[in-house]
Amino acid sequence: MKASYQWLRSFVPQIPDDPSAFAARITSAGLEVEGVHFYGAGIDPCEIVTVVSMRPHPSKSGLRLVTVDRGAAGTLEVICGAPNVPDPGGMVVLAPLGTTLPAKGMTIERRAIAGVMSEGMLCSESELGLTEEGEGILVLPPGFAKPGTRFIDAVPTAKDVIFEIGLTPNRADCLGHLGLAREAAALYGIPWQPPAPEAPVRFATNGSKAADFIKVTIEDGERCPHYAAAVLTDVTNGPSPLALRYRLASLGVRSISNLVDVTNLVMLEYGHPMHAFDLDRLQGAQIVVRRAKAGEKLKTLDGVDRTLDVDDLVICDGNGPLALAGVMGGGDSEITASTKRVLLECAFFDSRTVRRSARRHGLHTESSHRFERGVDHGDTADALAHAVALTARLADGIAIPGIVVTVGRALERTAVTLRAARMNALLGIDLHFEESLGTLRRLGFEVRIHEKSAAATSSAECLVPTHRPDVAREVDLIEEIGRVHGYDAIPAKLPPIRASREVGDKEESAQKARAAAVAVGLSEAVTLSFLAPKVLAAIGAPPPAVVLRNPLTETQSVMRTSLLPGLLDVVGRARRHGERDVRVFTVGRIFLGGSEPSGLPNEPVVFAAVLAGDRAAYLTKAQPIDVWDAKGAAIAFVERFARRTPDVRALAGSARPAHLHPRGAGVLEIAGTPIGTFGMLHPDVVDALDVGGPVVVLEIELELLAKLGVAATQYVPIPRFPPSTRDIAFVVHDDVAVGDVASAVRTAAGALAERVEIFDRFVGDPVPASHANLAFRIVYRALDRTLTDAEVDAQNERVKQEVGARFGATIRA
Amino acid sequence: MSAQGPSPTSTEIHAGIEQALAAMRTRFPDRFAAATTEQLLRDENAKILGKKGELTSILSQMGKVPADARKAIGESVNALRREVEAAFEEALKALFQAKRKAELEARPFDLTLPGRVPAQLGHRHPLSIVREEVISIFRGMGFAVHDGPEVELEENNFTKLGFPPDHPAVDMQDSFWTTSNHLLRTHTSNIQARAMSSRTPPMAFIAPGAVYRRDDDVTHSPMFHQLEAFLVDENVSMAHLKGVLAEFAERLYGPGTPVRLRPSYFPFVEPGAEVDIGCVFCKQPDGTRVGCNLCKHTGWIEILGCGMIHPVVFEACGIDPEKFTGFALGMGIERIAMLRYGVPDIRLFFENDPRFLSQF
Ligand SMILES: [Zn+2]
Repeated sequence: MKASYQWLRSFVPQIPDDPSAFAARITSAGLEVEGVHFYGAGIDPCEIVTVVSMRPHPSKSGLRLVTVDRGAAGTLEVICGAPNVPDPGGMVVLAPLGTTLPAKGMTIERRAIAGVMSEGMLCSESELGLTEEGEGILVLPPGFAKPGTRFIDAVPTAKDVIFEIGLTPNRADCLGHLGLAREAAALYGIPWQPPAPEAPVRFATNGSKAADFIKVTIEDGERCPHYAAAVLTDVTNGPSPLALRYRLASLGVRSISNLVDVTNLVMLEYGHPMHAFDLDRLQGAQIVVRRAKAGEKLKTLDGVDRTLDVDDLVICDGNGPLALAGVMGGGDSEITASTKRVLLECAFFDSRTVRRSARRHGLHTESSHRFERGVDHGDTADALAHAVALTARLADGIAIPGIVVTVGRALERTAVTLRAARMNALLGIDLHFEESLGTLRRLGFEVRIHEKSAAATSSAECLVPTHRPDVAREVDLIEEIGRVHGYDAIPAKLPPIRASREVGDKEESAQKARAAAVAVGLSEAVTLSFLAPKVLAAIGAPPPAVVLRNPLTETQSVMRTSLLPGLLDVVGRARRHGERDVRVFTVGRIFLGGSEPSGLPNEPVVFAAVLAGDRAAYLTKAQPIDVWDAKGAAIAFVERFARRTPDVRALAGSARPAHLHPRGAGVLEIAGTPIGTFGMLHPDVVDALDVGGPVVVLEIELELLAKLGVAATQYVPIPRFPPSTRDIAFVVHDDVAVGDVASAVRTAAGALAERVEIFDRFVGDPVPASHANLAFRIVYRALDRTLTDAEVDAQNERVKQEVGARFGATIRA
Repeated sequence: MSAQGPSPTSTEIHAGIEQALAAMRTRFPDRFAAATTEQLLRDENAKILGKKGELTSILSQMGKVPADARKAIGESVNALRREVEAAFEEALKALFQAKRKAELEARPFDLTLPGRVPAQLGHRHPLSIVREEVISIFRGMGFAVHDGPEVELEENNFTKLGFPPDHPAVDMQDSFWTTSNHLLRTHTSNIQARAMSSRTPPMAFIAPGAVYRRDDDVTHSPMFHQLEAFLVDENVSMAHLKGVLAEFAERLYGPGTPVRLRPSYFPFVEPGAEVDIGCVFCKQPDGTRVGCNLCKHTGWIEILGCGMIHPVVFEACGIDPEKFTGFALGMGIERIAMLRYGVPDIRLFFENDPRFLSQF
């Protein structure tokens, strides 16, 4: 909502002349000023001058030398390139030397063009920053003002401060300047004066009444409670006076013609949309307000042919729909240059009806914006009378007495009881009741205090004014009082909080997962929950269970059933930016088919990670990440999350998850329950998703893991006796699984072996072809004594024999 | 030293022993000095004092010495033993000191070499850092975490929260619909509706999560994150709301951070307000604010919306609004993070560039 400071101050003269202080005051009361513009900035020095004479430029074609009369300041000559300089006697606007016009970023200086000096500039409206349009300079009729008069003195609306106010949807009353004036007066505690009704300058004296010209029928009183109509004849449609044009322009409304401009001006003043019909274009001298019939057509003012819905409310004549009620008029009854008789409509339409129609037809107009939020249903007569008087004056029309008011449904005003104790309890403050009621009165409420009683039980009945449809309950009154009083006055007190038990398993799992993942060297990505269905298909994820009806794009049209596509997208994007090493995880919900009666999906929280590029190495050549990095990360993650070490079951060939590499993938299991998978991404998937190279991935079902429970930590005594360590190496055929050899070593090493670990696998010279050298370290220890070398050596010898025999292995030192 | 040939007289034997002892006494200091390691030193010591050592073999000849001379020889041997033992301890100590000295004076560590990170640590996402920090602040005040679904019934997302049907308030939250009455939640306030419908007051919860609106530009992402805190009990007032906000602002932005409430409108609260904190970017050492681009030269930055829970919401959830009152406050995690880290474009949070993630 754009608001004119000048206009507001005409209603509330005591508002201090300090735009930024005013902006701060209304912002603090909930009318947020988002911007302040200076309309007509810099035009103060511009003056109205009379053209005295004109001659062509001696050498430059298209330029003329114009001598103008500035009254007391004498005459001067300016160079002008505009084609529309008026004949002598005509008036124009001069920007004298030194004037700075911010609209075009120019300062007027004395300058010579081809040897001739120019002493100023004749201005167009766009150079003055008044309107966007207009070719040529602004031309005023002879006698418009005394020569030398400042332009802003002759046309005060040419300079104004305009506030851009971000109104919340509940404050429809401030969508007009009268409402803003009422609000401002209440905030400052100063008087304000709504305009007195103006009598039309010309009105019919032959006894005719508006009702003789038009018959109004409301067929749907639910959707159209009030319809008021007025008639003027003998109007002359034409341009509006400058003052009106600039008032509209400063508020962002384009001037059309005096008849149309009047309806817009009244809307900006009262906040009540109006509509003007060409009465001669109506069939049957009647207006019918009804629901549209299925398939009915209407060509709206924007030139679009619309097919109406039975839910639409339309204004009809004897023939059919003329306008979409409260949204937009139709072309067939539009005001034109030749309009002679005009019908002015000021109605009250149901806000929900207007909103549904506007949305259905993809329209958002100044009118629908206001009706949707709720206009004042008590001001139709005043607004209409004002419009009639303005039309009579500006379009020289004859007003026909007698407004036709048709009531579809009587509207009651709400009475709300306000209790002093409740007010103070809710605000947490101690306000004086009488003063608070004064605030309500200033906002337009009619207040009656109930029987006097103790202050604590004081209460009052407040009749809600018609301009405040948003106020329906006591709490709304309390807000009005608190808002005007200012929230700064409310003290800050910490409440005594009686604690509740947490209902946050998902959040807790996510937090734990983040901590665990960061500790194993992964960085967190937050990816969008929606993606393209084909992406899910590409990685063999379950088909989408939740499909958006109105997605922004196809690539965000279904809810994910896997976290991997989002992460793979991160890797692909990073690689395209030259970042090769990526180790990311995400923790979030996936959306799977639900079993709830409500039909809502299941939203388990799951964990996924993707590793790509090189493993960080210390002062050695980096090695590409491989599947064992995924295994290590997966096991370490589960151990940190659940304090349990998962078993790894290898799946190869067709047994593996389809998106993983056929050379093998791992399933993580706890006590036989699979809780996740890891592996290298299938090269076909890498290509399909444009990942840009090999990656390893892992996925873990956090809720399943959490359900299996975190293992209880139990202290194990720290060994008191020293260990004995033996390294042992076997050369085995390279198709032997290391894990098999390791578990054979483990078994053979027996109870004395505390730990068995492989620390090297070597292939190549001097190891024979097709063989690998596997080096193990065995740590022997007894809990109750120091082992002797002899018994360790004996046990180690058994390991050599048994493992060597089983795998046909050669023993190396 | 073996006795060959004709048996020497006891006097001769006595003299021979004394001679041998004298020779040992002159040689052992050099022998110890020549031992450059502890092992060599111990070996040398054993050659003199050990079971088969030189001194022991002298003592084994004592039987051949006349009884009158034995006492004198014994005294000489013991004296020499004490000298050798003392010298050995000295030499041992000197060796240890030399070794320690060498250890300490070896070439210094090159601390310009990079530190080794066994498994390098990852980074939490800035949105998670902010989310967990805010949750912990509210937990500290007594609020408990409450989850809720992201795909929600219209009833919980709008109807119970007092959004009037066909009302422009819904325009503030343009929604993604998945069925005729299911949508992606537009705010975490659905959790308020669920909690209040399923339990009786008192309750104090902090509800975090992803929310969705049909918006996509520099300051809007179609998916973003909110945190909503709400308290319902008897006698909860707007002063309590201000108290919690002041505490929150101090804990998140530092002591003395001023808070102000501006009246605003959200359908599910009345009175409703937007909350500004004193700009954290142009704060001066004396606590004043000079204004900057980030606060549009006002000295204030908007961080959240709040209000007293609307009686309509209580009624829709089956709670008596005469008996109970409450407040709710909600903030966008992205906004808090953008302000805190100076991130200019919300989309950076969802692009997850490794060069971005590694900054947090
Ligand atoms: Zn600032």
